[in-house]
Amino acid sequence: MKISEEILDNISSLSKIKIDEKIKPKLISDLESILEMVEEMNKIDTSNIEPMSHPIDEAKNLREDIAAKEIKRDDYQKSAPLIDDGFYLTPKVIE
Amino acid sequence: MTDLTNLSLEDQIEGLSLKRFSSVELTNSYLKKIEKQNKVLNCFISINENALDEAKKSDLKIAKNDKGIMEGIPVAHKDIFCIKDQVTTCGSKMLENFVSPYSSTVYEKLFNSGTINLGKTNMDEFAMGSSNETSFFGNVLNPIDPERVPGGSSGGSASAVAAKLCSFATGTDTGGSIRQPAAFCGITGIKPTYGRVSRWGMIAFASSLDQGGIFARSALDASIALESISGFDEKDSTSINKKAPSFYNEAKRDDDNHVVGIPKNIIENIKDAKVKTNFYESVKILEKAGVSFKEIDLSNIEYSLPVYYVIAPAECSANLSRYDGVRFGYRCENPKDLEDLYERSRAEGFGDEVKKRILIGTYCLSAGYYDAYYIKAQKIRNLIKESFVNAFKDVSSIMMPTCANVSFKLNSIQNPVEMYEQDIYTIPANLAGLPAISIPSGKINDLPLGIQFIGNYLNEGNILNLSNKFQQNTNFHNE
Repeated sequence: MKISEEILDNISSLSKIKIDEKIKPKLISDLESILEMVEEMNKIDTSNIEPMSHPIDEAKNLREDIAAKEIKRDDYQKSAPLIDDGFYLTPKVIE
Repeated sequence: MTDLTNLSLEDQIEGLSLKRFSSVELTNSYLKKIEKQNKVLNCFISINENALDEAKKSDLKIAKNDKGIMEGIPVAHKDIFCIKDQVTTCGSKMLENFVSPYSSTVYEKLFNSGTINLGKTNMDEFAMGSSNETSFFGNVLNPIDPERVPGGSSGGSASAVAAKLCSFATGTDTGGSIRQPAAFCGITGIKPTYGRVSRWGMIAFASSLDQGGIFARSALDASIALESISGFDEKDSTSINKKAPSFYNEAKRDDDNHVVGIPKNIIENIKDAKVKTNFYESVKILEKAGVSFKEIDLSNIEYSLPVYYVIAPAECSANLSRYDGVRFGYRCENPKDLEDLYERSRAEGFGDEVKKRILIGTYCLSAGYYDAYYIKAQKIRNLIKESFVNAFKDVSSIMMPTCANVSFKLNSIQNPVEMYEQDIYTIPANLAGLPAISIPSGKINDLPLGIQFIGNYLNEGNILNLSNKFQQNTNFHNE
């Protein structure tokens, strides 16, 4: 699979990671070699095979959906880069 | 007085219990060694300043005979396990200053067993790497040969156990991150069945593959430690609701019923003749100890690497979307708008390998490619699991090398695919969710090699028993 600069820009935008122009050629070459290895998968016929998303069937315990009163906002906001009065601050979104 | 750090975990537990030495003495021995050796090895990111206070408390508990099963034992934790009010970096600039508001279940369980936390060990950034060269906090060195890597991603834990800087250490294994560094550093490393150990508070990389485990100096030591961290946890929806047996008793009992599968298609294709020879020598050692072997065919196993490099990056790209520069973690300076805040915080906070995997994962999950990559990989994953399920109808465990090579020199692998191939023998167990262990099996040019046993679901006891049998008949684990 060839990765064009257009594809790289698209996945960079989707993953919200700004990519420095200088590293693009090396990055494209790395991504292409990884995808070339991945495409080995095409050698095997998988029609009528179910996809497997999880290794253990019996797990996936769900808890009762009960409202909890536990609010630890202050604890969790201790690690926030920028807060004010319990709110997380970001650059202005709406003018 | 003998060097307490040379004692096995078993002997340390006994020595503490019989008051031959105190936890303060034991902890001090380790802290002094860490102070000297960590400057070179760089296996710890942070040292717990309260370690001696914790040891004093343990000594009081031992005096009152109110003790946990590993009361006073000093251990190290991979810096992926959150500990309340302590910095947990995951080897990343993104979490350089992240102070966790809660503790992981693995840490809590070991704390409740009485262990002393010596500190947090270095690792590949977000557990992505096979050499510990991707850590924001610098690479870790292998104590066997300090020009070489300790393996990864749990390289700090492996290096610390091998250098005897802790009694044992925790690690995580998504595609081999416990077993490969264990092999490179000449120690024992076990990844239990997926779901055996709670993932609560263990920073996520690829959720359907990540599993916590143990580095120790022998299978018996590992069995004691693994027992302590295993068990159902209602906080982890993928935790298996089954009580873990006494792994120590299982490892020690007389078991003459081992039938070990040798996957012919894998062993025949081992490229390095010395690795192949070592494998067959290991088989002979076990045969002499009364273990039977049977050739098996693990079909489609050769697709493990490509399947893993779709599934792991796909899950990683979803898991790591939480690092947005808003709620916690690194935030770029002077963002001009929200988009810029996200894009630059992530560009500056993540290292190159992590970014590469997020990009691959995003690509494989994007519109138009989802079926061709992600669903295709999930289908082959099912076939690989089926191969194992079929094999376990005839054998009690499966044996193969842990790695295709011994530890390599720092910065010697630049090609990403070549680095990914480090995990070629370890990835299959993660895809299927099976327990697997690596133990030392000899050396090539003074560098350790490992062999790997893969067990059936929830049968960690079987591979610990087999490993113990091997270690009772060899001395590689004490060299």
